[in-house]
Amino acid sequence: MALLGRIWNTAKSMFVGHSITLREMFTTPITVFYPEEKPPMERGSRSVPVLKVNEGTGLLNCVSCGLCERSCPPSCIKIEQALDAKGDRQSWPEAFELNLSHCMVCNLCVEACPFDALEMADVVELCSYQVQDLIFDKQQLAEIWKTSRSLRVANGERL
Amino acid sequence: MSDSGRPVRVEAGPALAPHLPTSNDAGVVPTIGPDGERKLMTINLGPQHPSTHGVLRLIVTVDGEQIVHVVPDIGYLHRNFEKIVERWSYPGIVPFSDRNDYIAAITNEVAVALAIEKLAGIEVPPRAVHLRVLFSELQRILSHILFYGTYGLDLGAFTPFLYAFREREWGYTLMEKATGARMLYAYNRVGGLRNDVSDEWLADLAKFLDFVEHKAMPEYMGLLIDNEIFRERTIGVGKLTQEQAIAWGAAGPVLRATGIPWDLRKNAPYLCYDQFEFDVPVGTNGDVYDSTMVRMREILESVRIIRQVLKTLPNGPVLAKVRPTLSPAAGDYYSRVEGPRGEVGVFLISDGTTKPYRLKWRAPTFCHLQLTPLMAAGGKIADLIAVVGSYDVIMGECDR
Amino acid sequence: MNILLAAILKVIGVLMFVGLNAYILIWGERKVSGHIQRRIGPIRVGGPSGIMQSAADILKLMSKEDFVPSGADWWLWVLAPVVSVAPAVLVYLVLPIGRTLVLRNLNVGLVFFSSVSSFTLLGIFMAGWGSNNKYSLLGAMRAGAQLFSYEIPLILSTIGVVMLAGSLTLQRIVAAQTHYGWFIFPQIVGFIVFFVASVAELNRTPFDLAEAESELVAGYFTEYSGMRWAMFAIAEYSNLFTLSALGVTLFLGGWHGPLLPGWVWFVLKSYFLVFVGIWIRWTLPRVRIDQLMDLGWKFLFPVSVLNLLGTGLYLMVR
Ligand code: SF4
Ligand code: SF4
Repeated sequence: MALLGRIWNTAKSMFVGHSITLREMFTTPITVFYPEEKPPMERGSRSVPVLKVNEGTGLLNCVSCGLCERSCPPSCIKIEQALDAKGDRQSWPEAFELNLSHCMVCNLCVEACPFDALEMADVVELCSYQVQDLIFDKQQLAEIWKTSRSLRVANGERL
Repeated sequence: MSDSGRPVRVEAGPALAPHLPTSNDAGVVPTIGPDGERKLMTINLGPQHPSTHGVLRLIVTVDGEQIVHVVPDIGYLHRNFEKIVERWSYPGIVPFSDRNDYIAAITNEVAVALAIEKLAGIEVPPRAVHLRVLFSELQRILSHILFYGTYGLDLGAFTPFLYAFREREWGYTLMEKATGARMLYAYNRVGGLRNDVSDEWLADLAKFLDFVEHKAMPEYMGLLIDNEIFRERTIGVGKLTQEQAIAWGAAGPVLRATGIPWDLRKNAPYLCYDQFEFDVPVGTNGDVYDSTMVRMREILESVRIIRQVLKTLPNGPVLAKVRPTLSPAAGDYYSRVEGPRGEVGVFLISDGTTKPYRLKWRAPTFCHLQLTPLMAAGGKIADLIAVVGSYDVIMGECDR
Repeated sequence: MNILLAAILKVIGVLMFVGLNAYILIWGERKVSGHIQRRIGPIRVGGPSGIMQSAADILKLMSKEDFVPSGADWWLWVLAPVVSVAPAVLVYLVLPIGRTLVLRNLNVGLVFFSSVSSFTLLGIFMAGWGSNNKYSLLGAMRAGAQLFSYEIPLILSTIGVVMLAGSLTLQRIVAAQTHYGWFIFPQIVGFIVFFVASVAELNRTPFDLAEAESELVAGYFTEYSGMRWAMFAIAEYSNLFTLSALGVTLFLGGWHGPLLPGWVWFVLKSYFLVFVGIWIRWTLPRVRIDQLMDLGWKFLFPVSVLNLLGTGLYLMVR
C-alpha cells in the first residue's frame, strides 16, 4: 500500500513538474539581447560619482573643499587644490582623481558635498583591461556627467 | 583584554603563515590503514568546484561513495573586513558591510546601523524603522528565492534556477528603483535611510508580492519542492538534533528545522517587528528537507509582514539629523538581526573616538559550516552537496 | 567488388548519419532546454535559429589544445573516446529504419543491439580509470554500477515484446505490430520500464550520476577536452537516438504510419522520444546512487519480471 502511495505521489509530482516546464516552453522567452538591446537603468541608479558642470559658466561646481575626500571610506578621491602664482589657494581643484577600482559606489561623497558638485551617473559600461583606466581625472568625470543621466539623491529625500 | 586574557583587538604583529590543511593534519582522517593498505580516499571538493557557492574547500575523506569525514577549509574570500573598519569612520562601515552577505545586503546594513545608532544614541524616525523592516523582508524573499534556485542546481535540477531568476530580476529591479543599486545597496545610513521611496514604488511592490504569493510559490513547489525525487533526496538527510543545533550555534532555518521556534524577530524584537503579526515556521526532523520547507514558508511570512508594513507605514522623514563626524560614547553593544541565513550579529566596541575600536561580525554561514562533518558523515557524496547547499552558504560573510 | 563498395558506402552513410544526428540533437537539446528555461538558446552564430552553433562548436573543439593529464594511463585515456563511440555506431547496423531499409537484418537483432550497446560501459570505465582523477574514477564507478543494473530491466522489458512477436528480428517485431497494433498498448508496463531504464542507460538526468555536475564536476570525462570530449558527446547523443529508435521499434510501431514513407515515421517517432528525454532532463533533479540502485533492483527488476509473467500467462491462455 505504501508502495502504491509512493508510486502515485511520484507520478503526480512528475506530471505537475512536467506540465510546468511544458507550459513555459511555449511562453515568450525573457531573453534580452544585451549589447543591441539595453535594459533601461532605473532613475537614480548609481555607477560612478561624477563632477557636475555648471550650466551657466561651463565650469565645475566643485570648490575643492575636500569634504568628499575626507568622507570617502576607501579613500578613492584625491583632490589637489589649485594655487595661483602667489601660492594662494583658489576655489577650484587643480586635479580631481577618482579611483573607480576602489570605489564602492556608496554615495557618501555625494551626500557630503555641500556645493552640489557631485552626482551619481548611471553608466555601467566602464570596464577596462587595465586598472589605470579606471582612475578618472576631472575632465573625464565632467565628460561622463555631460553624456549620462546623473542624479543627486541624498539626505532622505523622496526619489 | 577580554576575560580570557586574549586581546580583543589584534594589533600589527608577526604575520601568520598561511596554513593549508593536508591529510596529515589533526582532524583529517588518514587514508592509509594501520596495515599500510590504502583504505580511504581524500577528495578536495573545491575551492573550484561547481557547487561550493563561491570558494569553499571541503576536504572529504570517502570510503567509496560513503563519507567518512569532512573538513571545511574556509578563508579563500577573506577581505579583512573587521580590521579594515577599525581604520574607517562610522558612516562608511554601513555600506562596506554590504559585501559580507552580498545576497542579503540590507540585513548587514541594518545590523551595523543598529549597533552604531545604539552606541551614539541616535533616534531613528518611525518611517525609516518601518521601511527597514520592509526592506529586510523583501531582502529575505529575494534571498530565499535565490536559495531555491541554487539548491535546485545542487540537486541536479537546472531549470528552477532560471525560473527563480524571473522573480529575482523583478525584485532586484524594485530594489534598484528604490535604492539605486541592484545588489550592494548602500541604502541604510547611520540614523535612517538614504532616501525615501515613492508611492508608485510601494504600489509596484504590492504587485510583486501578489505575484510571488500566487504565481511563483505554487510553481516552485510544483517544479521542485514537492517533486518526489527532491523529497527522496532531502528527507532524512543531514539530520540534526535540537541539542546539536544549539551546541554548535546554528541559527535561522537550520535551527528552526529542528523544531526550535527561535527567531530574533520574535524572541528579541528589533526595529518594530513586535508590531507585526507573523508566524515562525518550524520543522520537525531537522533534516535538509525541513530547512528548505522553513525557507519556503518564510517567503510567505515575509510577504505577510510587508503587507502589514504597507498598511501601517507612517509619514515623515526617513533620516535623523546626525553630525558628520560621529564619535559615539565609549562602550560596547551587540546588535543582532535575523538574516535570511540566521543570526547576523555585530559586536561593536567604541573607545569614544571617531573610529571603532573593534568590530566583530557573527556570520551564520560560519557557524553552520562547522556542522558539515556532523550532518554529512555517513552519507553519500550527493548528501554532502545537499547538506552544504541547505545552509545557503555565502562565503562572503563566512570569510569576511 | 560490388559488395565491398556497398559496404563502404553503408559505413560512410552510417557515419554521416551519426554525425548529422549528433549535430542536430545537440543543437535541439540546447534549443529545447533554452525554451523550457524561458531562454532562446543558441541564435547568434547563423542559420535559422542558430543552427550553425554546433558547427562553430566543432571548429572550436578542433582548435583546442590536445591535453593529456599528467599521470594518465595513456593508452586507456586515448582509446576511451573511440571505444565509447564504436558501439554507438555499430548498433545502427540492425535498426529497421524503413520497410526495406535496414543495413543488416540479423535474426538476433535485439540481442545484437543490447550486447553491443553495453560496450559503452567499457569506454566509460577506461576514461575513468585512465584519467588519473578521483572525480573521473568515482564517475566511472557510478556508471559501472548503474549501467550494469539497468541493463537487466532493460532487456527483461523487451522480452515481453519478443514473446508477443515471436521473433528476435527487429524487422519481424515491427511487422508483428501490424497484427497486434502497437506493442505499447499490451506492453505498457514494459514500455515504462524500458523508458526509465533507457534514461538510466543514457546517463541523463534524473540518472546522470556518472557525470553529476554538482557533485563530480563532469564525472568520467572531467579531464577530456577538444575533440576527445566531442567524441563522448557524439556517443552520448548517438546513443540517445538509437535507444529512442529501439523504443520506437519495439513499442511504437517502428516505421508504421499513414501517408508518409516509413523511414520518415521512424525518424519522427524517434525524435519524439528524444524530445521526451530532453524534456525530462530539464525538469527533474538527480537521484542519489543508492536510490538509483533501489529503483533498478527493487522496483524495475521485479516489475519487469511480473510483466513477463503476465505476458506468458496471456500467451498460454490465448
Ligand atoms: S561613492 Fe563612496 S567609495 Fe565611491 S568615491 Fe564616493 S564616497 Fe568614495
Ligand atoms: S565636497 Fe564637493 S565641493 Fe568639496 S571638494 Fe568634494 S566635490 Fe568639490
